[in-house]
Amino acid sequence: MSEHSTPTVAQVAEELGLKVCAGGHKLDSKVEGALVSDLLSFVMANGKRGQLWVTIQTHSNIVAVAVLGGLAGIIIASGFHPDEDTTGRAEEEDIPILTCDAPAYEVAGMLYELGVR
Amino acid sequence: MDDQPLCHHEFPILGSAYFLGGRASTSVKRVLSEFGVDGETIQRVSVACYEAEMNVVLHAVSGYIALDLFADRVEVSVKDRGPGIDDIELAMTPGWSSATEEARALGFGAGMGLPNIKGQADEMEIESPPGEGVRMKLVFRRGDQGDE
Repeated sequence: MSEHSTPTVAQVAEELGLKVCAGGHKLDSKVEGALVSDLLSFVMANGKRGQLWVTIQTHSNIVAVAVLGGLAGIIIASGFHPDEDTTGRAEEEDIPILTCDAPAYEVAGMLYELGVR
Repeated sequence: MDDQPLCHHEFPILGSAYFLGGRASTSVKRVLSEFGVDGETIQRVSVACYEAEMNVVLHAVSGYIALDLFADRVEVSVKDRGPGIDDIELAMTPGWSSATEEARALGFGAGMGLPNIKGQADEMEIESPPGEGVRMKLVFRRGDQGDE
């Protein structure tokens, strides 16, 4: 993938081998950047529209944060899994939730390598 | 400001219902989207509403968000029934929080809420008369005003 291309959520999921837990029909949006945080207020204050959010929080409020912050989706790292409430709400609100075993640090590195800046 | 709002809505907030947190703000966002408000304004209102809503969830018994949409601005009032804020100036200090350990474990209570609201809104008034909970009034000037 070229340095300056902007991958879609689907491309990120495929390249990083992420499992799609919710919002599988909303993977076509462009990933305009990413941020890593487990503090919801930090994400609200610093998240930008179109970003992917890497976290280990799994409760349903992460969906509200993603919706209200206009984020492209959520990657739950380190092998954590979203609660059922969370996936249900994500489906309702069209927010992709992706999971992986890699820790947030590695996910961030892979996203960067992939051209997500 | 004797102009009439294009719409008025009120959305209830239930205290301590962590996992319902964001419902009211999501409804606000939906209304603004339906009325074709520009994305940047929606984003600012959404973020501020969420922070205000979570303050009600984390600290109060109940409350509500009232939304008034005007041609040139969005007005949001948040009122709650709760213990109120003893020292508003202290509560506005970034990093200061009175959230419980339980709330902090969920990623709340970073002490960024009120400062973030102030950063998003064009005008912010907050008061907490003893025994009457917290009242907040926010004004956001629309980025798309004049395009009507």
